[in-house]
Amino acid sequence: MKKKALKALLYLLLTVSGLFVVTFTVYFFNLDMKLTSMIEPFLLKHYDRIPRNQHL
Amino acid sequence: MAVKKFKTMVNPEKIKGDTRYGDLYKPHGKVRKRREWRGVQDTLYDYWRWLGIMMTLGKFVMVPRNVKAMFRYRWMANYLAVPMMVDRFTQGLRGEYLRMAHEEQDLIIIDVAKLLNTLFRGDRRIGNDEEFSKINVLVDENEMTAVMMGFPNLKCTSRETPSTYVSVLLNQHAAEHYIDVAQEFGLAGDVCPMPEAEAGVSIDDDAPILGACAVQCNTTCDGSLLGNGVISERLEKEDGIPVFQLPAPLRHKQDDVQDYAAEEIRRAIKFIEEHTGHKWDWDYYFECARRVNIATRCRNEWLDMNKTDYPQIFGGNLALYTETNYMAICGKVPDFEKCDKKLMKLAEQAYKKRRMAAPEYRHRAIVWGVQSHFYMDFLVWLLNCWGIVPLTDMLSCINTEMIAETDTPENREQAYYDMAMLTEEMIMRNRTHGGYKVLLNDLFRFVEEYNADMIILWEHITCKALDGMHGMFEDRARELGIPLIWVDHQLFDPRVVSRQGVRDQVNQYMRTVMQEEPLDPTLEFLDDENSW
Repeated sequence: MKKKALKALLYLLLTVSGLFVVTFTVYFFNLDMKLTSMIEPFLLKHYDRIPRNQHL
Repeated sequence: MAVKKFKTMVNPEKIKGDTRYGDLYKPHGKVRKRREWRGVQDTLYDYWRWLGIMMTLGKFVMVPRNVKAMFRYRWMANYLAVPMMVDRFTQGLRGEYLRMAHEEQDLIIIDVAKLLNTLFRGDRRIGNDEEFSKINVLVDENEMTAVMMGFPNLKCTSRETPSTYVSVLLNQHAAEHYIDVAQEFGLAGDVCPMPEAEAGVSIDDDAPILGACAVQCNTTCDGSLLGNGVISERLEKEDGIPVFQLPAPLRHKQDDVQDYAAEEIRRAIKFIEEHTGHKWDWDYYFECARRVNIATRCRNEWLDMNKTDYPQIFGGNLALYTETNYMAICGKVPDFEKCDKKLMKLAEQAYKKRRMAAPEYRHRAIVWGVQSHFYMDFLVWLLNCWGIVPLTDMLSCINTEMIAETDTPENREQAYYDMAMLTEEMIMRNRTHGGYKVLLNDLFRFVEEYNADMIILWEHITCKALDGMHGMFEDRARELGIPLIWVDHQLFDPRVVSRQGVRDQVNQYMRTVMQEEPLDPTLEFLDDENSW
């Protein structure tokens, strides 16, 4: 029982550490902004294609 | 007259981590190379808050109608840049200053996410929840929302706040498309680009359609009146949403206009009651009034602190929060009361420790005029690049008086005058209108009170309200021996004066007139024209 609990704790620690390493890398190297800056041009093209009822 | 000069203060504490902030910029880039290293503790804190922001954004996109809205409204693309806005405003900040910035900005992000949720739920094109739409009252972006302080079950909803105001904070180029659309349809190009962009959103058929009714305010200028006309025409004639015009007096310091101002508030409330079926609730009003007073008390104390050698809540931390808390929130959201108290605690803590936000404080400046919206983080730049401490700005110099907060028959009558006063003392209009005393004399009174040795004077090119006093500002500054730096800009349009164009005006003055070298030379010239 104790061994199982220790194993679960180890897995939990590894998962949390893994998540920390991945998210901290994304954070520090600004990867989130680098990705979204690549999405923006596609969105702008999409908006240009939407039919609009433009008037004063 | 000798030129006034503040004695340079050197920070006894070393700034941990990066100190060459310009190196983080990628030439021609939209985003930065990497985030700032602030020492272990502050970097981990910033990372933790970044995770919180990502959670807020994650929750937002989990709602299908929000994703639908993302593909419908052009201005929604700017929200891709939310984390970068926070990075810009927290540049160089450590310790308590970083925590204050996050307390404010993270709350503002949550509040804007809630506003977007509200808009899209009621929007006829997206969520189309008709019952929900009926409890929404639309208001302008640049409008005091005091008339909504007695309606606990109604939502005070601004379409312009997320479509233009916040968008330009996120992305300097956000309003350009809408300004162009407005001008393509024949609207004048020499008006303030803020209302022009708001009108452009309406003309471009890019505003959510919802609400039982709308209340517009004669904000401050010709551009605002022009924009409101275009927007209300579409709201009333096409969308069937009735609009009330709330004309607050411009001579707001005169006693003879106050009865009229209070009467307009009564009429606005009656209009809302008629179109929503909801009745004014005095208990809720006085609860909100109590929170307005807490915010005013806190702001007064922060400004008093900024008059000392150790200012704490200043620059971007003061300007952005005040704009949100004073007008859009106006006592209606309890979370802002909690934030006020947290900020006060952090400020007091930092003040006791005599903390400084930069390696050196070389100048104490009052920032006056209407600041460039596409470059609000200029205040952080002033501090980091030149050691100029922006003690307060014109838009943060608003009401300092307490309003009635206990429910008595006399105070119910007084409440209309209080709401009128808050509306008249609205951000920007309380200085750009009301005569030379509030615009010119008060500036030099603040220079004395804050022991400032410099004035940064924004010249918003198409703001006619301020341009007329150009010479009077110069004459008075010369008389008193206060260095005054004019900084031209076009509020929402960086194509007229770019961010570097804004910086160049300060750089040239500091090098030639003041004969100084920058604190951080990497920030003097930045290739950020393509940046968000």
